[in-house]
Amino acid sequence: MEILGYERPDDQLGIRNKVSIIFSTDCSRYVAQKLKMLFPEGTQLFGYPGGCALVDGAFHKLVALGTHSSSAAALVVGLGCEGTDAYSVAEAIAATGRPVEAIKINEEGGDLCTVERGSRVLAQLLQHASTAKRVPMSPGDLIVGTECGGSDATSGLASNPITGIAGDRLIEAGGTYMISELDELLGCSEILAERAVNDEVADEVREAIGEAEQRCFRSGRFAWGYGNIMGGLTSIEEKSYGALAKSGTKPLQGILRTYGLPPSKGFFLQVGEPGSGFFHGDPEGINQFAAHGAHIGLFTTGCGSTTGGLIPVVKVIANPNRMQLIRDNADFDASPIVRGETTIEEMGEALYAEVLAVAAGKLTRSEVFGHFEV
Amino acid sequence: MNNVAILLHPSDHVATALKDLEAGDTIVVRLGETTYSVILREDIAFGHKYALRDIAEGEEILKYGLPIGRALQEIRAGEWVHVHNCRSEHFGFRHETYGIHA
Repeated sequence: MEILGYERPDDQLGIRNKVSIIFSTDCSRYVAQKLKMLFPEGTQLFGYPGGCALVDGAFHKLVALGTHSSSAAALVVGLGCEGTDAYSVAEAIAATGRPVEAIKINEEGGDLCTVERGSRVLAQLLQHASTAKRVPMSPGDLIVGTECGGSDATSGLASNPITGIAGDRLIEAGGTYMISELDELLGCSEILAERAVNDEVADEVREAIGEAEQRCFRSGRFAWGYGNIMGGLTSIEEKSYGALAKSGTKPLQGILRTYGLPPSKGFFLQVGEPGSGFFHGDPEGINQFAAHGAHIGLFTTGCGSTTGGLIPVVKVIANPNRMQLIRDNADFDASPIVRGETTIEEMGEALYAEVLAVAAGKLTRSEVFGHFEV
Repeated sequence: MNNVAILLHPSDHVATALKDLEAGDTIVVRLGETTYSVILREDIAFGHKYALRDIAEGEEILKYGLPIGRALQEIRAGEWVHVHNCRSEHFGFRHETYGIHA
């Protein structure tokens, strides 16, 4: 299948072509939303919904998303006094060669003046985006991230293992693959350390999962309960292995802590920067992948999910009942494994083919429905 | 092909039921060249595990090719494997004081 990407001035290749409307603080979110409503086609809305944002993580994330391969150009809307200064965000995006404008509501004359000028800017940026050069992309250019949410017994048995196979295929094609959610990997640090490309990365993964374990013990909160035991899981380790199955089998290249593109190809664990998220829900996880350059997110669920984000999300469901009960939002039906009709290997290959189809332009359900949870 | 249980790794001691299975059922699982045919000694609910072969007390029990715990007692092929006869090394033993008995 031929993938025609969009070439960016910093040589990134995107599979989607959007103008970003960025609110740099919660105070400018409403005006940014108005602009998104005025220009619904070809734009994507995101920002920092957390207030004054005096932490680096929030700034790095806005810049990473504004310079994502799907972002052709950007309009940054700020109030004017926030830590994630709209001009600074725009300056960092401009450094990649993308056209960008910033408007501060408290300097522009208020809401109406910002909407007026923002509209003129967006009209120009949308025309610019439409001229993006199309170039052939190979699977090896792709970055894909996988997370799970609303897991049930079918997640660890079927949907997570097939994402692991798809991730392996992507890496074999020269691509980049990442998983996150270290709290779900308790008991897996030595297994991942053995997969590390060197001792430094092995120590990093031990440290990162050790931090997650300490956090869980301190708070007394584990992703573990009687529901898991009733469902057939015998130990935290067993549940973690079900989550680890997303990771595939390739060597671990490193831990991604600072937003931006991964330093090389291959398999990574994604952690993210403190203070960069508004809340730690599933959409936030997808957008953190995007902030590390991911083109596509895979999302495995047994209980169902509506999750969307700034990148196409392929929702994978292996529970036959749930597949029917949330069929509107499901992208990939892995229930034939649970019905005993096919193998994990075959479904994994089919999922990889679906990833390539989405890269080539096939819209996911979250895109069709316009989910943009930020 | 219509499997009612799944084997996730060739070295595993357990298979997982893909539907509710009954004692006395003969269950066959295959993965690559590995095949197990086992008569269940107990009912095995969907998502639960049964032993593919006899497991000695203290032996590590593998699923996904990885240790999910140690056998608390001898477990015979076809028996249910769960918290009553398997406990994990790290979270089950070391951190028992935290009340996580699994």
